[in-house]
Amino acid sequence: MNEVRKPRDPVTGHVKALAKGFKYLVEPNRMTLDYPAETMKLPPNYRGFFTVDDKKCIGCSMCEMVCPPEAITMVPRIIGEGGKTLPAPEGEKEAKGPKRTKRPVVNWGKCIFCYFCVDVCPVDAFIPTQVHDLAFEKDNEYRPSYEEYLKPPEEPYKNAKKVVSKADLKRGVGYEPAP
Amino acid sequence: MSFIPISLIIWLIEDLLYLIIFPGLVTILVLVIVIIWLERKIAAKVQMRFGPLWVSKKIGGALQSLADLLRYSFQEVIIPEKADRLAFILAPGLMFAFATIALIFIPVGPYYSVLFPSYYTILFSLALIIITPIFAITVGWASDNKFSFIGALREGFLLISYEVPFLLSVVSMIIIFRTYDYISAVQSQLNFLPGIILNPLAALVMLIVMIRTTGRFPFDITEADSELVLGLFTEYSALFFGVGMATPYVELYNFSLIFSLLFLGGWWPLNINVMNPVYGLFLPGLVVVIKAFIVMAILVFLRAVYPRYRLDQAVRSGWSYVLLLSILSVILSVVEVMFLR
Repeated sequence: MNEVRKPRDPVTGHVKALAKGFKYLVEPNRMTLDYPAETMKLPPNYRGFFTVDDKKCIGCSMCEMVCPPEAITMVPRIIGEGGKTLPAPEGEKEAKGPKRTKRPVVNWGKCIFCYFCVDVCPVDAFIPTQVHDLAFEKDNEYRPSYEEYLKPPEEPYKNAKKVVSKADLKRGVGYEPAP
Repeated sequence: MSFIPISLIIWLIEDLLYLIIFPGLVTILVLVIVIIWLERKIAAKVQMRFGPLWVSKKIGGALQSLADLLRYSFQEVIIPEKADRLAFILAPGLMFAFATIALIFIPVGPYYSVLFPSYYTILFSLALIIITPIFAITVGWASDNKFSFIGALREGFLLISYEVPFLLSVVSMIIIFRTYDYISAVQSQLNFLPGIILNPLAALVMLIVMIRTTGRFPFDITEADSELVLGLFTEYSALFFGVGMATPYVELYNFSLIFSLLFLGGWWPLNINVMNPVYGLFLPGLVVVIKAFIVMAILVFLRAVYPRYRLDQAVRSGWSYVLLLSILSVILSVVEVMFLR
Protein backbone atom coordinates (compact mmCIF):
# COMPACT_ATOMS: atom_id res chain seq x y z
CA MET A 1 0.00 0.00 0.00
CA ASN A 2 1.46 3.31 -1.03
CA GLU A 3 -0.62 5.75 0.94
CA VAL A 4 -0.10 9.44 0.55
CA ARG A 5 -0.89 11.18 3.81
CA LYS A 6 -2.63 14.45 3.30
CA PRO A 7 -2.51 17.32 5.76
CA ARG A 8 -5.84 17.42 7.59
CA ASP A 9 -6.18 21.16 8.00
CA PRO A 10 -4.01 23.45 5.90
CA VAL A 11 -4.78 26.63 7.87
CA THR A 12 -5.08 26.00 11.63
CA GLY A 13 -1.70 24.39 12.08
CA HIS A 14 0.12 27.26 10.38
CA VAL A 15 -1.74 29.88 12.41
CA LYS A 16 -1.05 28.03 15.68
CA ALA A 17 2.65 27.62 14.90
CA LEU A 18 3.04 31.27 13.91
CA ALA A 19 1.20 32.43 17.05
CA LYS A 20 3.41 30.29 19.25
CA GLY A 21 6.56 31.56 17.56
CA PHE A 22 5.40 35.16 17.93
CA LYS A 23 4.67 34.56 21.62
CA TYR A 24 8.22 33.36 22.16
CA LEU A 25 9.58 36.29 20.15
CA VAL A 26 7.82 38.79 22.39
CA GLU A 27 8.52 36.96 25.66
CA PRO A 28 11.80 35.15 25.13
CA ASN A 29 12.48 32.28 27.49
CA ARG A 30 16.25 31.88 27.38
CA MET A 31 17.80 28.65 28.52
CA THR A 32 21.32 29.38 27.35
CA LEU A 33 24.15 30.20 29.72
CA ASP A 34 25.82 33.42 28.57
CA TYR A 35 29.08 31.57 29.03
CA PRO A 36 32.08 33.86 29.28
CA ALA A 37 29.99 36.49 31.10
CA GLU A 38 28.35 33.96 33.43
CA THR A 39 29.89 30.74 34.61
CA MET A 40 28.41 27.88 36.58
CA LYS A 41 29.17 27.54 40.28
CA LEU A 42 30.72 24.10 40.29
CA PRO A 43 30.10 21.29 42.79
CA PRO A 44 32.88 20.79 45.41
CA ASN A 45 34.27 17.60 43.90
CA TYR A 46 34.38 18.90 40.34
CA ARG A 47 37.38 17.46 38.49
CA GLY A 48 39.37 20.17 36.76
CA PHE A 49 43.02 20.67 35.86
CA PHE A 50 45.42 19.56 38.56
CA THR A 51 49.05 20.05 39.41
CA VAL A 52 51.50 18.25 41.69
CA ASP A 53 53.24 19.22 44.91
CA ASP A 54 56.93 18.81 44.15
CA LYS A 55 57.90 18.32 47.80
CA LYS A 56 55.22 15.77 48.67
CA CYS A 57 55.65 13.51 45.64
CA ILE A 58 57.78 10.43 46.26
CA GLY A 59 58.11 9.39 42.61
CA CYS A 60 56.43 5.99 43.07
CA SER A 61 54.91 5.97 39.53
CA MET A 62 51.54 4.66 40.74
CA CYS A 63 49.77 7.50 38.89
CA GLU A 64 51.56 6.57 35.66
CA MET A 65 50.52 2.95 36.05
CA VAL A 66 46.86 3.69 36.82
CA CYS A 67 46.33 6.35 34.15
CA PRO A 68 43.79 4.90 31.63
CA PRO A 69 44.73 6.98 28.56
CA GLU A 70 48.45 6.89 29.48
CA ALA A 71 48.55 10.64 29.73
CA ILE A 72 51.02 10.72 32.62
CA THR A 73 54.72 10.26 31.97
CA MET A 74 57.40 10.18 34.67
CA VAL A 75 60.39 12.46 34.06
CA PRO A 76 63.76 11.88 35.75
CA ARG A 77 64.76 14.51 38.34
CA ILE A 78 67.62 15.09 40.75
CA ILE A 79 66.79 15.48 44.44
CA GLY A 80 67.89 18.93 45.56
CA GLU A 81 67.96 20.66 48.90
CA GLY A 82 64.80 20.96 51.02
CA GLY A 83 62.91 18.28 49.16
CA LYS A 84 62.81 20.25 45.88
CA THR A 85 63.94 18.60 42.67
CA LEU A 86 66.19 19.86 39.93
CA PRO A 87 66.11 18.95 36.26
CA ALA A 88 68.18 15.94 35.30
CA PRO A 89 70.99 16.39 32.76
CA GLU A 90 69.83 16.37 29.16
CA GLY A 91 69.56 13.06 27.37
CA GLU A 92 68.95 11.11 30.59
CA LYS A 93 65.79 9.10 30.14
CA GLU A 94 65.75 6.80 33.14
CA ALA A 95 66.18 7.79 36.77
CA LYS A 96 69.16 5.62 37.67
CA GLY A 97 72.04 6.60 39.90
CA PRO A 98 72.57 8.63 43.07
CA LYS A 99 69.99 11.20 44.18
CA ARG A 100 67.70 10.38 41.26
CA THR A 101 63.89 10.40 41.45
CA LYS A 102 60.87 10.73 39.15
CA ARG A 103 58.03 13.21 38.87
CA PRO A 104 54.73 12.98 36.88
CA VAL A 105 53.82 15.25 33.93
CA VAL A 106 50.36 15.20 32.39
CA ASN A 107 49.70 15.49 28.68
CA TRP A 108 46.44 17.51 28.64
CA GLY A 109 45.71 16.35 25.13
CA LYS A 110 45.29 12.82 26.42
CA CYS A 111 43.99 13.37 29.96
CA ILE A 112 40.35 12.40 30.51
CA PHE A 113 40.11 13.96 33.99
CA CYS A 114 39.13 10.67 35.64
CA TYR A 115 41.21 11.57 38.74
CA PHE A 116 42.41 7.97 39.20
CA CYS A 117 45.89 9.40 39.74
CA VAL A 118 44.62 11.76 42.44
CA ASP A 119 42.84 8.86 44.16
CA VAL A 120 45.70 6.40 43.90
CA CYS A 121 48.45 8.70 45.12
CA PRO A 122 49.74 7.31 48.48
CA VAL A 123 50.87 10.72 49.75
CA ASP A 124 48.09 12.91 48.23
CA ALA A 125 50.63 14.89 46.25
CA PHE A 126 48.25 16.08 43.50
CA ILE A 127 46.63 19.48 43.96
CA PRO A 128 43.20 19.45 42.28
CA THR A 129 41.51 22.66 41.07
CA GLN A 130 38.12 23.41 39.53
CA VAL A 131 39.53 25.17 36.49
CA HIS A 132 38.18 23.29 33.47
CA ASP A 133 37.95 25.86 30.67
CA LEU A 134 41.50 26.42 29.52
CA ALA A 135 42.30 26.68 25.83
CA PHE A 136 45.62 25.87 24.21
CA GLU A 137 46.60 27.89 21.19
CA LYS A 138 49.60 25.88 20.07
CA ASP A 139 50.37 22.22 19.74
CA ASN A 140 53.04 21.91 22.45
CA GLU A 141 51.12 23.96 25.01
CA TYR A 142 49.07 20.99 26.17
CA ARG A 143 52.25 18.91 26.56
CA PRO A 144 53.93 20.97 29.30
CA SER A 145 57.41 20.41 30.65
CA TYR A 146 57.65 19.57 34.35
CA GLU A 147 58.40 23.17 35.32
CA GLU A 148 55.41 24.42 33.36
CA TYR A 149 53.25 21.70 34.83
CA LEU A 150 54.07 22.77 38.39
CA LYS A 151 52.42 26.21 37.93
CA PRO A 152 48.82 26.10 39.19
CA PRO A 153 46.28 26.67 36.35
CA GLU A 154 44.66 30.10 36.25
CA GLU A 155 40.93 30.49 35.97
CA PRO A 156 40.28 32.32 32.66
CA TYR A 157 37.10 34.24 33.56
CA LYS A 158 37.59 35.44 37.12
CA ASN A 159 35.14 38.35 36.91
CA ALA A 160 32.31 36.28 35.48
CA LYS A 161 29.00 36.18 37.29
CA LYS A 162 28.55 32.87 39.11
CA VAL A 163 25.22 31.17 38.48
CA VAL A 164 23.58 27.90 39.39
CA SER A 165 21.14 25.97 37.22
CA LYS A 166 17.54 25.84 38.26
CA ALA A 167 14.80 23.54 36.99
CA ASP A 168 11.31 24.95 36.77
CA LEU A 169 8.28 22.88 35.78
CA LYS A 170 6.75 25.71 33.77
CA ARG A 171 9.79 27.39 32.34
CA GLY A 172 12.23 24.50 31.95
CA VAL A 173 15.90 24.79 32.76
CA GLY A 174 17.23 28.21 33.61
CA TYR A 175 19.97 29.93 35.62
CA GLU A 176 19.89 32.11 38.71
CA PRO A 177 22.67 33.94 40.59
CA ALA A 178 24.61 31.72 42.91
CA PRO A 179 23.86 32.14 46.62
CA MET B 1 32.41 70.49 -22.55
CA SER B 2 29.91 73.02 -23.81
CA PHE B 3 28.48 70.66 -26.41
CA ILE B 4 27.16 68.34 -23.68
CA PRO B 5 23.88 69.73 -22.40
CA ILE B 6 23.92 70.34 -18.67
CA SER B 7 20.62 68.53 -18.22
CA LEU B 8 22.29 65.35 -19.47
CA ILE B 9 24.98 65.62 -16.79
CA ILE B 10 22.37 66.19 -14.09
CA TRP B 11 20.44 63.24 -15.45
CA LEU B 12 23.51 60.98 -15.28
CA ILE B 13 24.39 62.13 -11.76
CA GLU B 14 20.83 61.47 -10.64
CA ASP B 15 20.97 57.98 -12.12
CA LEU B 16 24.25 57.31 -10.35
CA LEU B 17 22.78 58.48 -7.06
CA TYR B 18 19.81 56.19 -7.54
CA LEU B 19 22.04 53.24 -8.36
CA ILE B 20 24.66 53.73 -5.68
CA ILE B 21 22.89 55.29 -2.73
CA PHE B 22 19.14 54.96 -2.78
CA PRO B 23 17.61 52.42 -3.33
CA GLY B 24 20.77 50.97 -4.82
CA LEU B 25 23.88 49.22 -3.71
CA VAL B 26 24.56 50.91 -0.37
CA THR B 27 21.00 50.30 0.80
CA ILE B 28 21.25 46.69 -0.36
CA LEU B 29 24.50 46.17 1.56
CA VAL B 30 23.13 47.71 4.76
CA LEU B 31 19.80 45.90 4.49
CA VAL B 32 21.41 42.53 3.77
CA ILE B 33 23.72 42.89 6.77
CA VAL B 34 20.86 43.97 9.01
CA ILE B 35 18.43 41.32 7.81
CA ILE B 36 20.91 38.46 8.23
CA TRP B 37 21.56 39.61 11.79
CA LEU B 38 17.83 40.00 12.41
CA GLU B 39 17.11 36.52 11.05
CA ARG B 40 19.66 34.91 13.35
CA LYS B 41 18.54 36.98 16.31
CA ILE B 42 14.83 36.23 15.84
CA ALA B 43 15.43 32.51 15.42
CA ALA B 44 17.64 32.54 18.53
CA LYS B 45 15.03 34.34 20.62
CA VAL B 46 12.28 31.91 19.67
CA GLN B 47 14.56 28.91 20.19
CA MET B 48 15.68 30.05 23.69
CA ARG B 49 19.20 31.05 22.61
CA PHE B 50 21.18 34.29 22.45
CA GLY B 51 22.13 34.38 18.79
CA PRO B 52 25.06 36.51 17.59
CA LEU B 53 26.21 38.49 20.60
CA TRP B 54 29.92 38.76 21.26
CA VAL B 55 30.84 40.87 18.22
CA SER B 56 29.70 44.29 19.46
CA LYS B 57 27.89 43.13 22.57
CA LYS B 58 26.40 46.52 23.43
CA ILE B 59 24.20 46.59 20.33
CA GLY B 60 23.27 42.93 20.50
CA GLY B 61 25.90 41.63 18.09
CA ALA B 62 24.64 43.68 15.15
CA LEU B 63 28.09 43.84 13.58
CA GLN B 64 28.35 40.04 13.35
CA SER B 65 27.33 39.93 9.68
CA LEU B 66 29.85 42.66 8.87
CA ALA B 67 32.54 40.63 10.63
CA ASP B 68 31.49 37.58 8.60
CA LEU B 69 31.70 39.63 5.40
CA LEU B 70 35.24 40.73 6.30
CA ARG B 71 36.19 37.13 7.04
CA TYR B 72 34.86 35.97 3.68
CA SER B 73 36.78 38.71 1.87
CA PHE B 74 40.14 37.57 3.25
CA GLN B 75 39.67 33.81 3.00
CA GLU B 76 41.51 31.66 0.50
CA VAL B 77 39.66 30.94 -2.71
CA ILE B 78 39.57 27.21 -3.33
CA ILE B 79 38.48 25.90 -6.73
CA PRO B 80 37.96 22.14 -6.97
CA GLU B 81 40.14 20.34 -9.50
CA LYS B 82 37.32 18.84 -11.54
CA ALA B 83 35.06 21.90 -11.42
CA ASP B 84 34.13 23.74 -14.59
CA ARG B 85 36.37 26.70 -13.77
CA LEU B 86 34.76 29.43 -15.85
CA ALA B 87 31.21 28.60 -14.80
CA PHE B 88 32.33 28.04 -11.22
CA ILE B 89 33.81 31.53 -11.02
CA LEU B 90 31.25 33.41 -13.10
CA ALA B 91 27.95 31.92 -11.94
CA PRO B 92 27.73 33.35 -8.40
CA GLY B 93 28.75 36.78 -9.63
CA LEU B 94 26.19 36.73 -12.43
CA MET B 95 23.56 35.48 -9.99
CA PHE B 96 24.25 38.43 -7.72
CA ALA B 97 24.46 40.82 -10.66
CA PHE B 98 21.08 39.88 -12.13
CA ALA B 99 19.45 39.99 -8.71
CA THR B 100 20.83 43.52 -8.31
CA ILE B 101 20.14 44.75 -11.86
CA ALA B 102 16.45 43.97 -11.39
CA LEU B 103 16.41 46.94 -9.03
CA ILE B 104 16.76 49.33 -11.98
CA PHE B 105 13.22 48.58 -13.02
CA ILE B 106 11.66 48.69 -9.56
CA PRO B 107 10.77 52.33 -8.95
CA VAL B 108 10.63 53.52 -5.37
CA GLY B 109 9.18 56.92 -6.11
CA PRO B 110 6.77 58.59 -8.54
CA TYR B 111 9.60 60.16 -10.57
CA TYR B 112 12.10 57.33 -10.32
CA SER B 113 13.65 56.10 -13.52
CA VAL B 114 17.13 54.90 -14.25
CA LEU B 115 18.49 55.20 -17.84
CA PHE B 116 15.06 55.61 -19.41
CA PRO B 117 11.45 55.89 -18.25
CA SER B 118 9.50 52.84 -19.24
CA TYR B 119 5.88 51.76 -19.24
CA TYR B 120 6.80 48.08 -18.91
CA THR B 121 8.74 48.07 -15.63
CA ILE B 122 6.80 45.13 -14.16
CA LEU B 123 7.66 42.96 -17.13
CA PHE B 124 11.33 44.02 -17.19
CA SER B 125 11.86 43.42 -13.48
CA LEU B 126 10.13 40.02 -13.59
CA ALA B 127 12.23 38.98 -16.57
CA LEU B 128 15.43 39.89 -14.74
CA ILE B 129 14.35 38.20 -11.51
CA ILE B 130 13.42 34.99 -13.30
CA ILE B 131 16.90 34.74 -14.86
CA THR B 132 18.60 34.40 -11.45
CA PRO B 133 17.70 30.73 -10.66
CA ILE B 134 19.29 29.64 -13.97
CA PHE B 135 22.66 30.68 -12.55
CA ALA B 136 21.84 28.83 -9.34
CA ILE B 137 21.48 25.67 -11.42
CA THR B 138 24.74 26.55 -13.23
CA VAL B 139 26.47 26.76 -9.85
CA GLY B 140 25.26 23.27 -8.98
CA TRP B 141 26.42 21.92 -12.32
CA ALA B 142 29.83 23.58 -12.28
CA SER B 143 30.83 22.47 -8.77
CA ASP B 144 31.12 18.78 -9.69
CA ASN B 145 29.88 17.81 -6.26
CA LYS B 146 26.98 15.49 -5.60
CA PHE B 147 25.51 17.72 -2.91
CA SER B 148 25.61 20.76 -5.16
CA PHE B 149 24.15 18.72 -8.00
CA ILE B 150 21.26 17.45 -5.90
CA GLY B 151 20.70 21.03 -4.71
CA ALA B 152 20.59 22.22 -8.32
CA LEU B 153 18.10 19.49 -9.27
CA ARG B 154 15.88 20.48 -6.35
CA GLU B 155 16.15 24.13 -7.37
CA GLY B 156 15.05 23.16 -10.89
CA PHE B 157 12.08 21.16 -9.63
CA LEU B 158 10.92 23.95 -7.36
CA LEU B 159 11.58 26.59 -10.00
CA ILE B 160 9.18 25.11 -12.51
CA SER B 161 6.51 24.35 -9.92
CA TYR B 162 6.41 27.85 -8.42
CA GLU B 163 7.12 30.06 -11.44
CA VAL B 164 3.63 29.70 -12.92
CA PRO B 165 1.76 30.72 -9.72
CA PHE B 166 4.17 33.66 -9.31
CA LEU B 167 3.53 34.98 -12.80
CA LEU B 168 -0.21 34.39 -12.46
CA SER B 169 -0.34 36.36 -9.22
CA VAL B 170 1.42 39.27 -10.88
CA VAL B 171 -0.83 38.94 -13.93
CA SER B 172 -3.88 39.22 -11.70
CA MET B 173 -2.54 42.51 -10.34
CA ILE B 174 -1.81 43.69 -13.88
CA ILE B 175 -5.43 42.93 -14.76
CA ILE B 176 -6.69 44.94 -11.78
CA PHE B 177 -4.48 47.97 -12.33
CA ARG B 178 -4.63 47.74 -16.15
CA THR B 179 -0.98 48.70 -16.47
CA TYR B 180 2.49 47.21 -16.86
CA ASP B 181 4.07 50.00 -14.88
CA TYR B 182 4.71 50.06 -11.15
CA ILE B 183 4.27 53.81 -10.87
CA SER B 184 0.80 53.88 -12.40
CA ALA B 185 -0.08 50.73 -10.40
CA VAL B 186 0.79 52.59 -7.21
CA GLN B 187 -1.09 55.68 -8.42
CA SER B 188 -4.26 53.64 -8.96
CA GLN B 189 -3.84 52.16 -5.46
CA LEU B 190 -3.50 55.66 -4.03
CA ASN B 191 -6.74 56.62 -5.76
CA PHE B 192 -8.66 53.52 -4.67
CA LEU B 193 -7.52 50.74 -2.31
CA PRO B 194 -4.22 48.91 -1.70
CA GLY B 195 -3.75 45.73 -3.69
CA ILE B 196 -3.75 43.43 -0.70
CA ILE B 197 -7.42 44.33 -0.07
CA LEU B 198 -8.32 44.22 -3.76
CA ASN B 199 -6.87 40.76 -4.22
CA PRO B 200 -5.72 38.99 -1.04
CA LEU B 201 -5.33 35.67 -2.87
CA ALA B 202 -2.67 37.09 -5.16
CA ALA B 203 -0.88 38.57 -2.15
CA LEU B 204 -0.86 35.19 -0.42
CA VAL B 205 0.50 33.44 -3.52
CA MET B 206 3.13 36.13 -3.92
CA LEU B 207 4.22 35.68 -0.30
CA ILE B 208 4.50 31.91 -0.69
CA VAL B 209 6.51 32.31 -3.90
CA MET B 210 8.77 34.86 -2.21
CA ILE B 211 9.52 32.36 0.54
CA ARG B 212 10.18 29.64 -2.03
CA THR B 213 12.37 31.63 -4.39
CA THR B 214 14.56 33.09 -1.69
CA GLY B 215 14.87 29.78 0.16
CA ARG B 216 13.32 30.94 3.45
CA PHE B 217 12.34 28.31 5.85
CA PRO B 218 9.56 25.95 4.94
CA PHE B 219 11.15 25.82 1.48
CA ASP B 220 14.77 25.65 2.59
CA ILE B 221 15.08 22.61 0.36
CA THR B 222 17.89 23.55 -1.99
CA GLU B 223 20.44 24.26 0.73
CA ALA B 224 19.03 21.87 3.37
CA ASP B 225 22.07 21.83 5.65
CA SER B 226 21.15 18.64 7.47
CA GLU B 227 20.93 16.71 4.19
CA LEU B 228 23.07 18.49 1.61
CA VAL B 229 25.86 20.15 3.64
CA LEU B 230 25.15 23.52 2.04
CA GLY B 231 23.40 22.50 -1.16
CA LEU B 232 24.48 24.61 -4.11
CA PHE B 233 27.36 26.37 -2.38
CA THR B 234 29.03 23.34 -0.80
CA GLU B 235 32.24 23.73 -2.80
CA TYR B 236 32.50 27.50 -2.53
CA SER B 237 34.73 29.47 -0.25
CA ALA B 238 35.75 33.04 0.46
CA LEU B 239 33.96 35.91 -1.23
CA PHE B 240 32.25 33.61 -3.76
CA PHE B 241 30.53 31.92 -0.87
CA GLY B 242 29.64 35.27 0.67
CA VAL B 243 28.13 36.48 -2.61
CA GLY B 244 26.21 33.24 -3.00
CA MET B 245 24.81 33.51 0.50
CA ALA B 246 23.90 37.18 0.04
CA THR B 247 22.06 36.66 -3.26
CA PRO B 248 18.87 35.19 -1.71
CA TYR B 249 18.67 38.22 0.55
CA VAL B 250 19.02 40.59 -2.40
CA GLU B 251 16.27 38.64 -4.13
CA LEU B 252 14.24 38.91 -0.95
CA TYR B 253 14.74 42.68 -1.05
CA ASN B 254 13.62 42.85 -4.69
CA PHE B 255 10.58 40.71 -4.05
CA SER B 256 9.67 42.70 -0.94
CA LEU B 257 9.93 45.95 -2.92
CA ILE B 258 7.67 44.48 -5.61
CA PHE B 259 5.28 43.24 -2.93
CA SER B 260 5.07 46.62 -1.25
CA LEU B 261 4.57 48.34 -4.60
CA LEU B 262 1.89 45.99 -5.89
CA PHE B 263 0.06 45.11 -2.68
CA LEU B 264 0.90 47.56 0.09
CA GLY B 265 0.25 50.74 -1.84
CA GLY B 266 3.85 51.73 -2.51
CA TRP B 267 4.45 55.18 -0.98
CA TRP B 268 0.85 55.10 0.24
CA PRO B 269 0.58 57.66 3.07
CA LEU B 270 2.34 60.19 0.84
CA ASN B 271 0.68 61.49 -2.28
CA ILE B 272 3.28 63.47 -4.12
CA ASN B 273 2.91 65.54 -7.25
CA VAL B 274 6.01 67.70 -6.92
CA MET B 275 9.16 66.98 -8.90
CA ASN B 276 11.78 67.49 -6.22
CA PRO B 277 14.80 65.38 -5.32
CA VAL B 278 13.75 65.16 -1.65
CA TYR B 279 9.98 64.87 -1.94
CA GLY B 280 10.04 63.14 -5.27
CA LEU B 281 12.58 60.43 -4.50
CA PHE B 282 13.87 60.27 -0.98
CA LEU B 283 10.71 60.32 1.12
CA PRO B 284 8.58 57.93 -0.98
CA GLY B 285 11.64 55.71 -1.41
CA LEU B 286 12.12 55.62 2.35
CA VAL B 287 8.48 54.64 2.86
CA VAL B 288 8.71 51.86 0.27
CA VAL B 289 12.00 50.55 1.69
CA ILE B 290 10.60 50.55 5.24
CA LYS B 291 7.55 48.61 4.05
CA ALA B 292 9.82 46.18 2.22
CA PHE B 293 11.95 45.80 5.35
CA ILE B 294 8.88 44.91 7.42
CA VAL B 295 7.89 42.29 4.83
CA MET B 296 11.45 40.92 4.90
CA ALA B 297 11.41 40.77 8.70
CA ILE B 298 8.14 38.84 8.68
CA LEU B 299 9.53 36.37 6.15
CA VAL B 300 12.78 35.74 8.02
CA PHE B 301 10.73 35.20 11.19
CA LEU B 302 9.41 32.01 9.53
CA ARG B 303 12.82 30.38 10.02
CA ALA B 304 12.12 30.22 13.74
CA VAL B 305 8.76 28.50 13.32
CA TYR B 306 8.83 26.05 10.45
CA PRO B 307 10.56 22.76 9.81
CA ARG B 308 11.56 21.95 6.24
CA TYR B 309 9.21 20.51 3.63
CA ARG B 310 10.30 17.46 1.73
CA LEU B 311 10.90 18.07 -1.98
CA ASP B 312 7.83 16.05 -3.03
CA GLN B 313 5.61 17.88 -0.52
CA ALA B 314 6.79 21.25 -1.77
CA VAL B 315 6.37 20.33 -5.44
CA ARG B 316 2.93 18.85 -4.77
CA SER B 317 1.69 21.89 -2.91
CA GLY B 318 3.13 24.06 -5.68
CA TRP B 319 1.16 22.30 -8.36
CA SER B 320 -2.00 21.94 -6.24
CA TYR B 321 -2.80 24.57 -3.60
CA VAL B 322 -0.64 27.40 -4.84
CA LEU B 323 -1.50 26.98 -8.53
CA LEU B 324 -5.20 26.73 -7.62
CA LEU B 325 -4.96 29.86 -5.49
CA SER B 326 -3.21 31.78 -8.26
CA ILE B 327 -5.84 30.77 -10.84
CA LEU B 328 -8.55 31.83 -8.37
CA SER B 329 -6.77 35.15 -7.91
CA VAL B 330 -6.81 35.77 -11.67
CA ILE B 331 -10.53 34.95 -11.74
CA LEU B 332 -11.10 37.28 -8.77
CA SER B 333 -9.31 40.08 -10.60
CA VAL B 334 -11.36 39.56 -13.76
CA VAL B 335 -14.58 39.57 -11.73
CA GLU B 336 -13.56 42.75 -9.91
CA VAL B 337 -12.64 44.53 -13.10
CA MET B 338 -15.93 43.50 -14.74
CA PHE B 339 -18.28 44.35 -11.87
CA LEU B 340 -16.68 46.76 -9.43
CA ARG B 341 -15.32 49.35 -11.78
